[in-house]
Amino acid sequence: MDKRPPNWVMTVLSIVMLVALWGLDNVSVAANRIVAGSGYASWEAFGWMGVALASLLLLFVLLMAWQPTHSRLNLLSQLAAIILLLLLMPFGLMAASAALIDPQMPQARLSAGAAYWVVLFCALLALVELRLRLALSRFWIVLIMSGVGGLWWLCASLWLDRLALVQEFQAREAAFWLAFSEHLAMVSIAVGVSIVLGIILALLIRRYRAIQRGAFALLNFFQTIPSLALFGLLLAPLAWVSANVPFAAALGIQGIGWTPALLALVIYSLLPMVRNTYVALEAVSPDVLDAASGMGMYPSQRFWQVRVPLALPILLEGIRITAVQAIGLTAVAALIGAGGLGSFIFQGLGQAAMDMVLLGALPILLIALVVDAGLGALSEALRQGASDD
Amino acid sequence: MTSRPVHPRSAYHPIQLLWPLMWLVLLVGVVLMIPHAQTLFQWLAPDARQVIYQRADFTQLLGRHLMVVGVAASITITLGVLAGVMVTRQWGRDFLPLVSQIASLGQTFPPVAVLALAVPALGFGTIPIIVALVLYGLLPIVRNTIAGLKDVDPGVVSAAYGMGMTPGQILRQVELPLAAPVILAGIRTSVTINIATAALGATVGASNLGDPIIAGIVNANNAYIVQGAMVIALLAVSIDSIFEVFQRRLRLHTP
Amino acid sequence: MIELCNVSKFFDQTPAVEELTLSIPKGKFCALVGTSGCGKSTTLRMINRLLTHSSGEIELDGQSIDAYDPVLLRRRIGYVIQNTGLFPHWNVARNIGLVPRLLKWPTAQVNQRVEELMGLLGLPVSEFAHKYPHQLSGGQAQRVGVARALAADPDILLMDEPFGALDPITREKLQEMLMQLQARLHKTIVFVTHDMDEALRLADMLVVMRDGRIVQQGTPLSLLQKPTDSFVDSLLGGLERGLKQASLTRVKDHMAPLGPHLPAQSRVMTEQTLRQALSMMLRDHCEWLTVVDQHDVPVGELSLRKLVKEAFQAQEKSRDV
Repeated sequence: MDKRPPNWVMTVLSIVMLVALWGLDNVSVAANRIVAGSGYASWEAFGWMGVALASLLLLFVLLMAWQPTHSRLNLLSQLAAIILLLLLMPFGLMAASAALIDPQMPQARLSAGAAYWVVLFCALLALVELRLRLALSRFWIVLIMSGVGGLWWLCASLWLDRLALVQEFQAREAAFWLAFSEHLAMVSIAVGVSIVLGIILALLIRRYRAIQRGAFALLNFFQTIPSLALFGLLLAPLAWVSANVPFAAALGIQGIGWTPALLALVIYSLLPMVRNTYVALEAVSPDVLDAASGMGMYPSQRFWQVRVPLALPILLEGIRITAVQAIGLTAVAALIGAGGLGSFIFQGLGQAAMDMVLLGALPILLIALVVDAGLGALSEALRQGASDD
Repeated sequence: MTSRPVHPRSAYHPIQLLWPLMWLVLLVGVVLMIPHAQTLFQWLAPDARQVIYQRADFTQLLGRHLMVVGVAASITITLGVLAGVMVTRQWGRDFLPLVSQIASLGQTFPPVAVLALAVPALGFGTIPIIVALVLYGLLPIVRNTIAGLKDVDPGVVSAAYGMGMTPGQILRQVELPLAAPVILAGIRTSVTINIATAALGATVGASNLGDPIIAGIVNANNAYIVQGAMVIALLAVSIDSIFEVFQRRLRLHTP
Repeated sequence: MIELCNVSKFFDQTPAVEELTLSIPKGKFCALVGTSGCGKSTTLRMINRLLTHSSGEIELDGQSIDAYDPVLLRRRIGYVIQNTGLFPHWNVARNIGLVPRLLKWPTAQVNQRVEELMGLLGLPVSEFAHKYPHQLSGGQAQRVGVARALAADPDILLMDEPFGALDPITREKLQEMLMQLQARLHKTIVFVTHDMDEALRLADMLVVMRDGRIVQQGTPLSLLQKPTDSFVDSLLGGLERGLKQASLTRVKDHMAPLGPHLPAQSRVMTEQTLRQALSMMLRDHCEWLTVVDQHDVPVGELSLRKLVKEAFQAQEKSRDV
């Protein structure tokens, strides 16, 4: 077999995980929501057996990564060890809550510590790395992630009621789902409106080339303005409108709340939408269009049957960028009272309740990743379909 | 191959400096004018007792904002370009797939979420913000450094080796200059995002241009909000237009 | 003098070049010819150590190239590649002066050398020195590429399909230029090409490669006369081989003294090729031509019948060195 140097990435990752496991606090326990927790090392939290098991798994990965031959089997065994580690992680927290939390104290709560986060982060990186090395398809990664995620969810909802994040969630379950749906609603409306406006604008720019420079410069200019500032700048005029135009006030337009948020979201979303639509329509090969005319297609047939289908993947790419950006910006919109998951972040920061911050931030991250992957897959599928024809 | 029209270097014209200059003058003007524009802001917030943000001077806020962004940007640029260069060298290639995957995946993470996650890990204050800005700002720079270096024509690099240049000479004299426009675009994105994200830092206890906006939202004082928003917006636009000038110059040097 | 002895190169497990032995004398123009993937470029790139050979020995002037620092070795060897590899962010003068500057020549000397080379390659300094590569046509760009390779006056020039991306007319011009340069400079040139006509036209020495091995080597004429197998035969043009051979031969080498009969209507010059003479016979429906010198004075005659009879054997020795 051909001899190659060891896989440095997996080697480094597994060493980092081992060092974190043995050198950093793994969990912290706090008496209630507000006081700072006290940290516990891994062996105190999981027991010697738990630490030994995790270390063995990591040592196995290290050993495998160090092998000079990179057979598929070797990589698959590393993948299996990493997945096993991810599956075992919630059980570690369960062991910790059984070992460290006094059942007499109903307010006591458990949080993941530095080591736990580092191991989780590195394990996810390892998953990405192995996926790339093995060239696994999207299907497998979705399967693995939903399996791991499902187990975590199950553990969290059944047994991990001492985990601070779970406690935060249970304390405001209704509010969470409301914020979640508000967030999604705002993103969908903003993206929906900007798709329509963006396509119209892009078509206008195609027709009236004179406005091209000006339009892009203006949209670029808006994109440069920090979100907090744009939300703020829209607040004043909208407040004035709602105070002075009764009709607008009746429609619910006001200085604070969803109106400026939505307006700002649409303004931000327009640039990626218009740019990608424009580029998508322009990028269709002139040879193809020439051939279409040569075959006797009407301009309208050529537009709908040739230009649009060929432009669709890039257009979807624009929608993906827009959507991911809007998900993040909507979080900021919570500052001006627009609701959404961002409100947990800012409330949590205000109260120094870090688990509440996590309750806002983690779902935002998840939504962004899921939307990104979903739209990415759709665009890829369309591209393949287009090239298969 | 036909000869393309000649672009003499004199296509660069000082007139292009006009935009950043204009924005900078506007920025300084607004910062200096705010304390004297009592009547204007009173009109914006008729009910408020106080209409000029007093907790800190705007020049001071601007200075702190620039300091945070500047420190973060210097660390980010150094680390980001270094990382991008390392993973594209022969000995760092192992890390290339993972690093470029993270760099593109990381773009999905909303800056607010990154900032919010940095606080539990690092605590309140200026340092956590700088760390968060560095972590988030790294991604576009790393991604563009990799893309820029990968885009360099392999024939040119091969010729450079064939002429007897050392790897260090090739990196400094050929690869980096040719990748510079793409790297600079990454730095521009990174800094633009950082200016915006730093403002959000006001919510985690950093005192900067985000402060008046947050204070205005909390106290329902539109005048504060507009003051803060104007200055941040002008700062962002000024810095961005400076980058625009740099990019134009670079594009002239590397066709 | 470049010598390769039993040189092999493996990429992973796949052989690219196997057991190659080749000796290129000083001042010779050697063309490596073959279909793509036959290992000719790999061979070239092993000489300046852009690739490291897996086994065997490569020597320059009797010294193994492993003894040199690769970077210093490459500065002593000129290198020209297909897409020029000019640095797009440097102007023409700076591109040409690259190796002298790497060798730390004084600035004045570098500038003087650059101007000298631009003159040599027909690139007026005032017009081209400050242009950037993207402002040049393909032919101009490759002239700059050749000038850059010659800048430090290396003894050896490696050329990897240098004219492969050019249109036929420009290619021919540059071939002409290269022949004139070589007549003056007498470099040892290794030239990789898949264009057999180019190789026949330029080379003193032809090496045909297939699947990483040398199939046949020799002078262009000797190959044309006696291809070792059908592969070389088809590479040399199969049925066209006779004409190709004719195009390598001058009229003066085959003319007979002026005969007793009247001079023919059609005249051919001593320096023209047999191929041109044959074409003239077909065009003018005649079996013999009068050969004239550059002052149009008849010096001999050329007869088709005699040509066919003689074939070309006798003349072979004169080209074989």
